[in-house]
Amino acid sequence: MSEAILSLRHVSASYGPVRALEDISIDVNENEIVCLLGSNAAGKSTTLRTILGMTRASAGEIIFDGERIEHLTTPEIVSRGLTMVPENRRLFGKMSVRENLEIGANLRDDKKEIQEDIERVFLLFPRLKERIRQRAGTLSGGEQQMLAIGRALTARPKVLLLDEPSMGLAPILVEQVFETIEEINSQGTTIFVVEQNAHMALSIADRGYVLQTGSIVLSDTASNLLEHPQLSDAYLGEME
Amino acid sequence: MNPTAALKPGLIGGTVVIYLAAIGMVERFQDRNVITGVVGLGVVLILLTIAIAAYTAARKGRTPMPTGALVGLVAGGMVALITLGFEGLINAGVDVRGMFVSITPGLLETLEFGLNPALGAIVMALAGGTTGLVAGGLVGLKDEHLRSSIVFAVSMTLLISLGEPILRVTLGNLGIPTNWLYELGGLTIAGTIITLLAGFGLRWWLMGRKEKRQEIAAHMPEDTRRTWGRASLIAAILALIALPWVVGPFVSDVLGTVGLYVLLGLGLNIVVGYAGLLDLGYVAFFAVGAYAAAIFTSPASFLVTEEGETFAAAGFTNIWFAFPFVVIIAVVIGAMIGAPVLRLRGDYLAIVTLGFGEIIRTLVLSDWLAPFLGGAQGLTRIPAAPPESFDLRNPQHIYYVILAFCFVAAYISYRLADSRVGRAWAAMREDEDVAEAMGISVVRYKLLAFAMGAGVGSLGGVFFAAKIGSIFPNSFGLQVSINVLAVIILGGIGSIPGVIVGAAALVGLPELLREFGEFRLLIYGAILIAIMIFRPEGLLPNKRRQRELHEGAGSAPVELPEGASPA
Repeated sequence: MSEAILSLRHVSASYGPVRALEDISIDVNENEIVCLLGSNAAGKSTTLRTILGMTRASAGEIIFDGERIEHLTTPEIVSRGLTMVPENRRLFGKMSVRENLEIGANLRDDKKEIQEDIERVFLLFPRLKERIRQRAGTLSGGEQQMLAIGRALTARPKVLLLDEPSMGLAPILVEQVFETIEEINSQGTTIFVVEQNAHMALSIADRGYVLQTGSIVLSDTASNLLEHPQLSDAYLGEME
Repeated sequence: MNPTAALKPGLIGGTVVIYLAAIGMVERFQDRNVITGVVGLGVVLILLTIAIAAYTAARKGRTPMPTGALVGLVAGGMVALITLGFEGLINAGVDVRGMFVSITPGLLETLEFGLNPALGAIVMALAGGTTGLVAGGLVGLKDEHLRSSIVFAVSMTLLISLGEPILRVTLGNLGIPTNWLYELGGLTIAGTIITLLAGFGLRWWLMGRKEKRQEIAAHMPEDTRRTWGRASLIAAILALIALPWVVGPFVSDVLGTVGLYVLLGLGLNIVVGYAGLLDLGYVAFFAVGAYAAAIFTSPASFLVTEEGETFAAAGFTNIWFAFPFVVIIAVVIGAMIGAPVLRLRGDYLAIVTLGFGEIIRTLVLSDWLAPFLGGAQGLTRIPAAPPESFDLRNPQHIYYVILAFCFVAAYISYRLADSRVGRAWAAMREDEDVAEAMGISVVRYKLLAFAMGAGVGSLGGVFFAAKIGSIFPNSFGLQVSINVLAVIILGGIGSIPGVIVGAAALVGLPELLREFGEFRLLIYGAILIAIMIFRPEGLLPNKRRQRELHEGAGSAPVELPEGASPA
């Protein structure tokens, strides 16, 4: 496991007296797609928030690229190469598409590099280029998800964290989004995706973890998990 | 046409007129000539009120002209009847003025146009009807050019007449004779006709050229356009430089005050407009600037020790040496105030900053700090800054200093808006959590906003102290914070030209309205309410803010210009 680019070791986190994560350990290896599955309130988003330092880990270690990061501030962690696509996209709706992409690249101040990054996003999502001056809030749901991913990509992450990218999207769009995630991965970005839609996530993932009320209850390769008899009923509740 | 539909606006118009008369405004205004020997400002006020009522109603009705006439008739008739009523009461020996202090014989004479009561009432009703007819007729006018030109000509004539105190001095300074235009504080008849015709002609000509201009502008190459932009900027700067000598010392003094508010507004705009942090205690930085400047420069300062060994004598006795230190102090204090409130949002931040503003005022007023800050006596004897030939007490001199710093602050603001920092602020303003998740250090950018706002605000304080020479705690009350906030809201939050227009309207206008004494604040309040109803985004809004406020029903995708300012 030494080649893991991101690992959580025995991490716990709580909101006040409420325990949200209980001793979870996750490894994400370089160039892998790893998914974290779980039903509502299982602690999926908290896991991402804890990795980014937005929620503090009360115990355990988070190691990114060989260094412990659990004590760093969010901007420091982001600048090291961990970027999140937040749940529900949360774009800056009153800013233009271009401005949203620029915000992602805001940690750097090299205009030329930023422009290159933005061009790279447009290569991935030509639709966004057509709408470069449009307000982000007026985009369709699918376009918004593209922009949210693009915004994270302009930060040049080593590991891209995605929080429920399928949420609120039509099934056909969900498929597109996951195809894109695969493509981003094939270009060399490690992916850690949190999902409720287990089948979709496992179809592109290398490995998966299952989270239930704050604890990891299962972890295996994606293909094994897909065949796991109790996965849907026992751990994830209803599934689409 | 529905007659009852005209009743309500007519009665409202009439009520407003009666109100304005009963508080003494009409009579007081009548002393001022609009067209000397023909019409006074009091009558203009009445007719204008009726015209507005008629115009508004006519715009809703299907038959504008009759509707307008009817509204005017109702309003005029109501005024006439009430005037007659008062006349009757007075004749019956009732002490009307026991209750209505301002219902004077002079007022009644104005309301009756100097005629006998019955005839006066008829004339008032007819005047109302005619005014309404004209207003309605304007609405009904198909020809946009014609309507716009008429409205422009009348407004311009009125403004030129009202601006007499300034314009006469200004034109005089420019060596232009004004006898043909003005007489006894109002326009001459000839002047009126010439102004009306000139206004009409000007507007007519401009509208004719508008389309042509737009076409030229659309085909203008980028660099030509930039050259034009630069040329007009330079022209504006030259005009600003020439201004104090043209308008004379009184208006220069007003301009200096406006400039101070522009400076404060630009500073607060960084905090509120860019970073989205509602600061209700901005006066704190203004006070820090003024007091620090006074301490560094006044011979009455505690820094001047009895032994004659003076810090002040060592070369800090003038404002030029002091101001960089003052700004540094203010920036530090800004960061100190910013630090504890970083975690607060929205309303809570506003309340805490409000508290900070009051703390600073209480501190400078306190007996405890009186040996250092002078307590209620304030700090006086702030010396004139060298060179002696450029005395900052002279409003025409300090104007230039304030102007220069306004330029610097405006330039910094302008550059910030489109920078990485500006983008970070914009993101933070919209969604603090996501901004943080995107790696924007919310803490650092908030502190930066507070510190920069503090620095600019303290500059305002420094030159306030230099301008008036002594400072007292009561100059640093909550009112200042509110005024500065009102300046940026009125002008359009986040917009630099907005700050300038806001300061001119909010600070300059009341100064120029001084002539109207106790009605000044009433007029001012009415104008503010009107602006906030009709232009909630401010006079010269920032593009994004405008979108935010006019969002909703069927909002089409809005195209932004490439690289639009993120603020």
